[in-house]
Amino acid sequence: MAVSKRSKRFEVLEQRPVHKDGFIGEWVDVGLIAMGSPNDPKPSIRIEGSKVVEMDGKRREDFSMIEQFVADYAINVKNAPEAMAKSELEIARMLVDVNVSRGECIRVMTALTPAKIARVMDSLNIVETMMAMQKMRCRQTPGNQCHITNVKDHPVLLAADSAEAALRGFIEIETTVGVARYAPFNALALLVGGQTGRRGTLSQDALEEAFELEIGMRGLTSYAETVSVYGTESVFVDGDDTPWSKSFLASAYASRGLKMRFTSGTGSEVQMGAAEGKSMLYLEVLCIMVTKGAGVQGLQNGSISCIGVPGAVPSGLRAIACENLVTMCLDLEVASGNDQTFSHSDQRRTARTIPQLFPGTDLIFSGYAAEPNYDNMFAGSNWDIDDMDDFLAIQRDFKVDGGLRPASEEDVIAIRNKAGRALQAVFAELGFPPITDEEIEQATYAHGTKEMGDRNIPEDLKATERLMKEGVTGIDVAKALAKRGFRDIAESIILMMRQRVAGDYLQTSAWIDGDGTVYSAVNDPNTYAGPGTGYKMSDARWDEIKAIPWAVRAEDV
Amino acid sequence: MAQVNEQLIADVVRQVLKGVNGGGSSAPAASGSGITSADYPLGIKRNDLLKSPRGIPFGELTLENVESGKVTFEDFRISPEVLKMQGEIATSAGRSQIALNLGRAGELTKVPDARILEIYNSLRPHRSTKDELLSIADELEKKFGASVCAGFVREAADVYQRRKLLKGDLPSAD
Amino acid sequence: MQINPELLEKIVAEVLAEMSGGSSGSSVATAAPEDVAGVKLSETGKAVRGTDPKEVVLAISPAFATTFKKTITDIPLADVLRQVFAGVEEEGLHVRVIRVYHTADVAFMSHLGARLSGSGIGIGILSRGTTIIHQRDLNPLSNLELFPQAPVIDLPAFRAIGKNAAKYAKGESPTPVPTKNDPMARPRYQGLAALLHNKEASFIDRSKAPQELSVTFE
Repeated sequence: MAVSKRSKRFEVLEQRPVHKDGFIGEWVDVGLIAMGSPNDPKPSIRIEGSKVVEMDGKRREDFSMIEQFVADYAINVKNAPEAMAKSELEIARMLVDVNVSRGECIRVMTALTPAKIARVMDSLNIVETMMAMQKMRCRQTPGNQCHITNVKDHPVLLAADSAEAALRGFIEIETTVGVARYAPFNALALLVGGQTGRRGTLSQDALEEAFELEIGMRGLTSYAETVSVYGTESVFVDGDDTPWSKSFLASAYASRGLKMRFTSGTGSEVQMGAAEGKSMLYLEVLCIMVTKGAGVQGLQNGSISCIGVPGAVPSGLRAIACENLVTMCLDLEVASGNDQTFSHSDQRRTARTIPQLFPGTDLIFSGYAAEPNYDNMFAGSNWDIDDMDDFLAIQRDFKVDGGLRPASEEDVIAIRNKAGRALQAVFAELGFPPITDEEIEQATYAHGTKEMGDRNIPEDLKATERLMKEGVTGIDVAKALAKRGFRDIAESIILMMRQRVAGDYLQTSAWIDGDGTVYSAVNDPNTYAGPGTGYKMSDARWDEIKAIPWAVRAEDV
Repeated sequence: MAQVNEQLIADVVRQVLKGVNGGGSSAPAASGSGITSADYPLGIKRNDLLKSPRGIPFGELTLENVESGKVTFEDFRISPEVLKMQGEIATSAGRSQIALNLGRAGELTKVPDARILEIYNSLRPHRSTKDELLSIADELEKKFGASVCAGFVREAADVYQRRKLLKGDLPSAD
Repeated sequence: MQINPELLEKIVAEVLAEMSGGSSGSSVATAAPEDVAGVKLSETGKAVRGTDPKEVVLAISPAFATTFKKTITDIPLADVLRQVFAGVEEEGLHVRVIRVYHTADVAFMSHLGARLSGSGIGIGILSRGTTIIHQRDLNPLSNLELFPQAPVIDLPAFRAIGKNAAKYAKGESPTPVPTKNDPMARPRYQGLAALLHNKEASFIDRSKAPQELSVTFE
């Protein structure tokens, strides 16, 4: 900065998008460090009987609530002495070695303390982390999830976007709101739109925990994800929960036959000002272990909404890949982030996604913006609908399965229109403020809310209040659809309701195929053991990925 | 390769158990029902075992029966028996914590929605006194037979006391 | 929406100083609060539950308008207060301000405000600008209106927030303040927000009860 005569090159570089990103130096005292803080504890364990009486240098009577929970529920004490005796490097090499089975790695990794796991991760470089991911993820077939939101909480646009997203291959769709009280309509729009686009699409509302549970019990959502856990006691309490309340909540979901996963991510503790000087990855390992101990099948992590923090410090994106890997190593489903803006630079955006996209994860994105980012109410995703063709090209370039498929313009228009009409029918049948034909037309062809008119918000909010008060359920929605001639969508909603009787999608990494079959880590376990094993793309799937509509065909030239 | 062998073994075990039970598929889903990952997904492979809480068979949970009023929203609920089976599947796939969670869930099937939400909120930090938590545990145990959940709530009460997470432990309490 | 280079430089310089000096920011927590230009805030005792149905309680964070003088986008905090007051007052209601010491979590701050408020409506504002309108009988992490992206909240928005809070207090159902969304706010500001929040958090006193403030605009 002190140079008197400026270099033209440096002046050009300073104008590049990457210079708009926030980069900050490490600040160890408050935990602004991605991995390996000098304040991270040293690994240790002492077991008396079957109880952990010392963990990572701390005696049991001094454990925080998180440490007590992790020690009692998330460490296999039988295997611990043997596993803890191995060096970090030896364990790291096991993870990468194709001759060591996934099962053996799980046996060791689930018997380690948090500090030990963090150190194992620090022994891997980014390519080794990706190699380990390929072997360690729970389900063999990768999948993808998207966000469905808009700045107006416009229900018709939400339904249309849901249908398009499901058609494009997203197996899960997630919404949140600009105005919290709109949430019941968002849930309704995703349910109807998602089942219009593809039977079996799982949908959820990311909102306050008790509300999420209530709306899930009603059958308006089919799973929950925004059930947050944190790595320090004070931040956990600021999140208005404890490992016990969260575990009870997890059991409550399961008692109603509802799938759920927890959410955490590097950077949340320091973002909330209480990281106690520990590294972001070490604290995240505690979160992953709380999830394991709660008996929850999976976790959304990969920094998530705090990515601006690890994204700004050295080795931050590597730490994010490591947190995904730890989740897999504890035999949990991972919805691996990539769901929040963190950079102005297209190169950084793409690079951030490679560690999840190339090895494959259960849900590569836990929120690809299926709308333009200006409408993404999670404050923007790393990729949005305008990047869709880039994503399809990358799947094709590398023959990698990112879970998405090319869709034709006419199919997208048709499915968006149908979703709008279906939601119109439900609103009419349930006596909610009418959806006009004009709104359906707008939503059918819209890029985003800029093409949508305004709804009468106070009237809509009165209706959402009534929806909650009167106890409208998924069954009421199915009946309304059937009555108004949308029998196929009604059947799909019944199929989703039946899942909660069978409970198959409570198992790890479950998703629902169009014929109602549940696939999970139980019946589609990852069998990777080196070249020629593991996930193999079918010919049909490869043909689908190859067929981007805008490619020039040799026979046409 | 290890996966394939496990699957084979599980299949053999299941067949043996079927033989022991004399047909198997009608065997009640009590403890040790012999359900393993080979029976998964139950909705496809063993839907003969699935019923709504008031006993309506899985196959009758259809749109037509919803329209006729024969089945209602209350029928689309998981039963403790099915949660137990899913727990056994999780255990056979090496996931014991999930089985524990599904065990708690099985107990909670008997607790009404509104009460579950209330108990959850009571377990949040700084919401309850120790006595309040202990009386919830008693309620779970005596009223709903939820002894595992009761033990879990009692454990929480101890931890909250030790870590100052009970009602009144905050200066702002009004 | 301008990035605030002065503030950024100041913070970075402070951080660098602390990192090399090894002292943490908490030592200044005991220093006598100094007023920011344009407003005088003085503590008058422990905050209590109000009974006046015509009041909205505004809960501010531990270092609001003392150590921190501006929001993340450089809006003077005195102006923020002025606009919230104006918004509430033009609906015929009035604001009671409390300072929260035991947390810097805007959800719990605003919920506490709502619980102490005679009308049951509270507003919480962090020094960097993050704001919530809350209601007494909601769960702490729920809200009536949430403004999570501090960088997009401008002065007219603060006035509208005050106005809507007053309308809720009167039992009306106002149209929520239009939501703004800048998907690029996170990459630009989140690292900085983390720095600011850690600064603010160093003023948390977990044993100190919320205090009533008298507010005089100058």
